[in-house]
Amino acid sequence: MAKRKKQLLSLAGIILLVAVTILICYFFFARKDDNNLLYDDNATVGVLPGIDVDARRKELQDQLDRSMIAFSINTSPVFLNGTSEGNLLIENPGNNAKLLRVSIRVDGTEEEIYASNYLKPGTYIESVKLDKVLEKGTYDATAYFSAYDEANGEYIGETGAQITITVQN
Amino acid sequence: MKKRLLLQLILIFALLFSTVSYAADVNSTRDIPVGGSGQMEMVGTIEPTILSVTMPTFVPFNISSSLPTQNKVISPRIKMKNNSNVPVRVDVSYTKVDLSKLDNVKWSDTGMVSDNQIAIGLKQEESKDEMPESLAQARWLKANQKQDMNVLILNANQEGALYVVGTMGQNVSDNGTFNVTPTFVVSKTSAAD
Repeated sequence: MAKRKKQLLSLAGIILLVAVTILICYFFFARKDDNNLLYDDNATVGVLPGIDVDARRKELQDQLDRSMIAFSINTSPVFLNGTSEGNLLIENPGNNAKLLRVSIRVDGTEEEIYASNYLKPGTYIESVKLDKVLEKGTYDATAYFSAYDEANGEYIGETGAQITITVQN
Repeated sequence: MKKRLLLQLILIFALLFSTVSYAADVNSTRDIPVGGSGQMEMVGTIEPTILSVTMPTFVPFNISSSLPTQNKVISPRIKMKNNSNVPVRVDVSYTKVDLSKLDNVKWSDTGMVSDNQIAIGLKQEESKDEMPESLAQARWLKANQKQDMNVLILNANQEGALYVVGTMGQNVSDNGTFNVTPTFVVSKTSAAD
């Protein structure tokens, strides 16, 4: 008789545990469905761009800082004649972390008279021969420095320096 | 007494003679005789002027009509450093502008905009790290044409900064994107302002 009573009590306990579990699940899951709270899959976690001006400005500053380049060039390279080498003295300093290419174009005509290959950071070119033979005279020109990502070769941007080329004979 | 006087005289003569002979000896070893003429070659080498600068190659910015200031551009600080020993000037030589993704929007190169116009320029930094709020003294970029517009002069080893500024008409949509690519050209100048 006592054994049967124990069995009944155990069964009642199990039934009570299952009932409590079902009740908890109902409150946690079923009730939300009742309120129709559907969350948008298109939402992005974070602060809306354009709202926080300081945060947006910081992002822009990071982009600009990554595009900064340092370079050096002789402002007045001299060539003995149209086919000789001249002291262009172009440098891609070691702290650049970018590849540089240099293109020199004569002001006014925009004719390209020299184009370098890529210069690694920490390298320089002392003397070059121009790709076009220039007559004796003085030429105003612009040396355009194009920057490329050192890792993947992706183009970053361009800046220029005004120079005066002298061909002596 | 006489002996002593004689000894003093001998000593004086000896001293005088030794000084004269030393002087004569010094003269005899010089390359250029006293009273003569000599030529010395002086070789001068003109060192080339090296322009050395640090500047950006890409200038990102945002423009929003919701900004409460006259200047509607959110701009980074465009730092430029002259590492040379001569003053330099920084000009914008050309600005590539692409408004093709904006419907019916025109460019203004004066800073004055009508309802469907947009204007972008550059302004020298007045207070460190502070974006300009007004458009006074802004230099306006001309679209897709040559423009030698000075934006900055830097003394030797001096650093300076610019900001992008701009404004737009009320009919210009806030949702489009457009590209403005100025090319900065640096050159040697005789004097800094």
